[in-house]
Amino acid sequence: MSEAVLQCIKTRRVVREMTDEPVTREQIEAILEAARWAPSGGNLRPNRYIVIEDAETRRLVRLVSPGMFQEAPVLILICTNMDVVAEQQVPPSDRALLIDVGTAAQTMMLAAHALGLASGPVTSYSKEAIKVILNLPAGYSPEMIICVGRRAPDARPGMRAFKRITWRDLTHWERFT
Amino acid sequence: MSENWVLKEDEAIELLALLISSARIQLDEPARYAPMRMLTATERLSSMILERSSDKSREFLQDNMERIPDMRMEMSDLPAYTEGLEALCRSVAECLLRHSQAKESGA
Repeated sequence: MSEAVLQCIKTRRVVREMTDEPVTREQIEAILEAARWAPSGGNLRPNRYIVIEDAETRRLVRLVSPGMFQEAPVLILICTNMDVVAEQQVPPSDRALLIDVGTAAQTMMLAAHALGLASGPVTSYSKEAIKVILNLPAGYSPEMIICVGRRAPDARPGMRAFKRITWRDLTHWERFT
Repeated sequence: MSENWVLKEDEAIELLALLISSARIQLDEPARYAPMRMLTATERLSSMILERSSDKSREFLQDNMERIPDMRMEMSDLPAYTEGLEALCRSVAECLLRHSQAKESGA
């Protein structure tokens, strides 16, 4: 069991080129169910998810998303519900809110991978344009889009790393001297 | 220069949306992303006009635009990225010259 989880973590990749093969409703729901179990600062659960399957809406979202190279059959927009944040008297600038977006995003991408699907995160879009296109409620702040689909057979490998690293390069044990 | 219309109104608006969105997000992104955003817009414009372009433009578009997705992935290799952009600049200059010469010759 644990080995399967580790393999899933190690073999997931960001995919920027996808086919238009549809993703089933069951698969989408499984991904959203996984996100529900992602850790959340203070168990506040401020994330809200908007699923976009409609072709024209996806096209419009892509037009204001210069960082979206995929033409994915499903987009999942992660929003922070700032009304929940205000109700709980959490400062809007609290970094935990963005950490929550990150934990949900990674959990969804791992779930997609476990289901045999490809995924890729996008943050390079106009938030204001997205709010207009999706008619988002005033309190919803669109923080990240997860593209979900199937990897194109001839998809290019991801962006080349600036430097090849191992976990050891990123880690320091105990106190600095 | 050819006076052919190569862009439809819807396509032009779509390109405007991409350029305006790129301008906004660039305020928050690393400066090195700016060329990538311009290249993305270039790629989109190219795909929009390819079918309606004259032979002398199409040659440039077909020869060069396929390189852009690969270039995006080379951002971490600055010398290769720079050379890729320089090569595109040379190619577009040659395309401009072909258009200019065609205009002068009345072709």
